[in-house]
Amino acid sequence: MAIDGTAALRGAGHDRFATETGKVAVSGLVLLIAAWFLFLVIDAGVVQSWLGYAQRGDARVPTFYIRFALLLLVIAAAFTLITSTAYYKRNRIRLAPWMFVSIGLVFFAIYVIIPIFQSFSYSFTRWDGLRDVNGVWTGEWVGIQNYQRLLEDPNFYTSLWNNLLWLVLYMLAVPIGLGIALFLNQTVTGIRIYKSLFFFPFVISQVVVGLIFSWAYNPEFGLVGEIWSWFFCEQTTNILGNPTTVCSVNPPNILGNPDVATYGIIAAGLWPQIAYCMILYLTGLNNVSPDQIEAGRLDGAKGWKMLRHVILPQLAPATFLAVVVTVIGALRSFDMIATMTQGGPFGSTNVLAYYMYDQAVGEGVGRYGYGSAIAVVLFAIMLVYISYFLWKMYRDEREGH
Amino acid sequence: MKSLFKSAAFGALAAATMMAGAASASELVITFDDLNPDKKAAYDAAVEAFRAANPDIEVTANNGDREAHKSTIRSALQNDAPDVITWYPGNRMAPFVDAGLFMDISDLWASDPNLSQNFEAIKPTMSRDGKQWGVPYSYYQWGIYYRKDIFDKLDLAEPVTWDEMLAACDVMKENGVTPFTIGTQFLWPAGGMFDYLNLRTNGYEVHNALTAGEIKYTDDRIRQTFANWETLLERCSFVENHATMSWQDAIAPFANGDAAMYLMGNFAVGQFKDAGLTDEQIDFFQFPEITPGLPRAEEAPADAFFIPAKATNVENAKKFLAFVASPEVQAEWNKTIGQLPPNSSAEINTDDKFIVEGMETLSTASGLAQFYDRDAPAAMAQAGMEGFQRFMLDPSTLDEVLTELDRVQGEVY
Repeated sequence: MAIDGTAALRGAGHDRFATETGKVAVSGLVLLIAAWFLFLVIDAGVVQSWLGYAQRGDARVPTFYIRFALLLLVIAAAFTLITSTAYYKRNRIRLAPWMFVSIGLVFFAIYVIIPIFQSFSYSFTRWDGLRDVNGVWTGEWVGIQNYQRLLEDPNFYTSLWNNLLWLVLYMLAVPIGLGIALFLNQTVTGIRIYKSLFFFPFVISQVVVGLIFSWAYNPEFGLVGEIWSWFFCEQTTNILGNPTTVCSVNPPNILGNPDVATYGIIAAGLWPQIAYCMILYLTGLNNVSPDQIEAGRLDGAKGWKMLRHVILPQLAPATFLAVVVTVIGALRSFDMIATMTQGGPFGSTNVLAYYMYDQAVGEGVGRYGYGSAIAVVLFAIMLVYISYFLWKMYRDEREGH
Repeated sequence: MKSLFKSAAFGALAAATMMAGAASASELVITFDDLNPDKKAAYDAAVEAFRAANPDIEVTANNGDREAHKSTIRSALQNDAPDVITWYPGNRMAPFVDAGLFMDISDLWASDPNLSQNFEAIKPTMSRDGKQWGVPYSYYQWGIYYRKDIFDKLDLAEPVTWDEMLAACDVMKENGVTPFTIGTQFLWPAGGMFDYLNLRTNGYEVHNALTAGEIKYTDDRIRQTFANWETLLERCSFVENHATMSWQDAIAPFANGDAAMYLMGNFAVGQFKDAGLTDEQIDFFQFPEITPGLPRAEEAPADAFFIPAKATNVENAKKFLAFVASPEVQAEWNKTIGQLPPNSSAEINTDDKFIVEGMETLSTASGLAQFYDRDAPAAMAQAGMEGFQRFMLDPSTLDEVLTELDRVQGEVY
C-alpha cells in the first residue's frame, strides 16, 4: 500500500525523494572525523593527558563529557546521513520507527544480548577476570569442567533449593496482597491514609528493608531479642558490676541459624512484595464492573461465591501481573541477601544469583568461569518462565484483535 | 547543519589546544585506599614530605574507600593505571603478578641498601617467583587482647601454655564470664582463629603447605588442629550469636565485661578505646603454646605499595617506593596510624604498650604468616572460612566440612 502511494508521488515528477548530495557529503565527513576522534579517545587516558591531568581522579568528568559529546556527534551525523538518502525518503514510514528504536537496540545488544553470549563462552573457561598488560585474555579453555564441578558442589544445590523456596513462598504475596486489597477497598474516612500506610514498604528501598529486618531479628538488641527478654531473661550485673542480661533460654538467632535464615530473609522480602501485589489489586478492583456485581447480587451470589465467580475473573489481568512481578522478584532476590546475610552463615542462604556474584566478583574470589556457569544455569531456569510469559502475551494479543 | 559544523570545528580546536597544553614536566600519580582519618593523615603527610623532597615532580595523590578499592583496582591495573597503587602482598597479589599487571621491582630491592638490609623479615612475603613486587609501608601483630581488670579480679595470669589457657577459661566460666568474643558474620575472624590454632599445633611449615595446597584438610595434622579447636569451643566457649556479629559488634560484650578475651589484630585497639576502654583495662598476650617446643610463628598482615605494569612514570614511582621504605618515613607513618614499621631500623612509638609488645612479638617470631585469606587463594579462602564458621556453629559437621574443603582445594589449585 505504502509502495503504491510513493510510486504515485514519484510520478508527480518532483525531486522530493532525491538524495541530497551536499548533506550526505557533509554529514559523511563529520561522521568520519567524529568517529575517528571517538576511536582515539576510547581510552580515557588519552583525553586526560590532552587535558594535562594525567589520570587524576577528578579528570573523569571532563573526560566523560568530551567522549559523550563525540558520541552524540557521531549519532547525529549518522542520522543526518541516513535521512538524506533517497532510499530512506521513499521508505520513510517503514524505516522511521527503526531509526527511533536503533539507539536503544544498540545499547540493549551491548549490555544484555552480547553479555549473555559472553557468559556462555566464559562458562567453558577457567578465568580470574583479568587481562594482562597487553590486553590479552589470561584464561584457559576447560570444556564442560565448570558444569561437572557444579554438579558436585553442595553450595550449588543449597542455592538451587533456596531459589525454589523463594519461588514458592514468595507467591504468598499474591493471595495476601489480594486479601489486604479487598479489605482496603471500601470507603471510610481516612481510607487513603491506610492505603498509603500499607503501600509504604514498597516505597522503601530493598536494602533498607533488609537492614530494618536484620536489626529486628537481632537477638541482642533487636525486636526479637527485646520481646524474648520479657519472658526468658533477667537483668543482672556481671563480674565488673556492669548491667547485663542473662537468659534461661537463649533467644533465637534467626539469621545466624542455617536452618531458618532463608525463611527469615523471605519474610523480609514478602513485606514490600505484598504491598506491591496489594496496589495491583486495588487498581484492578477499581475496574471491576458494578453492573456485574449488581447482576450477581440479583442472582443471589455473595461472599465467597461472589469473589470466586464474579470478582476474581475480572481481576485476572491483575493476577497475571502480580504473579509475573512476584516470580521475577523471587528470582532476582539479591539485594536482601546481600544486606542481611551475604549468603551466610556458611553459604546456607545463597541463591543462584548471589552465589554467582560471590564466586565471580565478590571479595576478589575471581572464579569468572565458574560464576558464568552458574549464570547460565540461572538463565536456563529463567528462560523456561520467560518463554511462557512471552507466549502468553503473544496469545493474548492475538486474541485481542 | 551549521551548528554541527561549528561544534566539530570547536572540538578539533579544543583538542589541539589541549595537546599543546599537556605538561612535559615530571609527574607521579599515586592511588591509595584508606579514608580513615588517621590512615589518611599518615598518607597525606608522607606525600607532602615527598613533594618537599622532590619539588620537580608534580605529584597527584588519589585516595579512595578501602572496600571499593578491592574491585576498582582490577580496572585500574588493566586500563588507566596510576604509577603507584596500594595492595596486599602474599597470595592476594598473585593473580595480578601472574597476569603481568604488577611491575617487577627486584632491581630496586637489590640496589637500594635500605630495602636490601632492613626488610629481611618481610621480604619473602613481597616475593613471588623469586622476584620482589612491592614495598610494604606498615604491618601489625595479631594476638589475644584481654580484660586485665577481669583477669586481676579472678587472680589469673597471662596464660603461656595451652593447659594454662584452658584452666583460665574454666575459672572465667565458673564466674559467669564468657572467655572469648568473636564476630564471624564476615568470616575472616574465624580465619584468624584457625591460623593461630594451626600455627601453634603444627607450626609454620605445615601451615604454609596447607595454604599452598600441598596438604589436604583431611590430613591427620590438620584434624589435630580441629580437635584442639573443639576443645577450645567446649572449655573456652565463644559468645552466642557470633554468626551474625561483625568484628565491631563483637567488641560490645568485651567492652561491657561479659567476655574477657578477643583474638584480633592490633588495629582493634583504637576501637576498644572508642568503646570506652583504657590502657589499664586492656592488655595483650601472645597466643599460648600448644605443641611444646614448636618454633613460634605469628600473623603479621602487611600493606604495601606496588607499581602497575602500565605505569607511565616508572622512575618517579621507584623514587617514591624507596622514599616510603626509608626508616624516617616508616617511623612517622606508623606512629600516626598506631601500627608497626616493616623497616627493622625504624623507630617505634614506645609510649604505646601494644606497639612495644607487638614489636617484641614479631621480631622474635620464627615465621610470619599473612592471614588465611591472603595466604590461601581467594576462592579457597572463601570456602575455607565458611567451613570454619560452620564448624564453630556445629562441631559435629567436621567431617563434612573437611571433605568439602578438600574438594574445593582440588578445584582451586
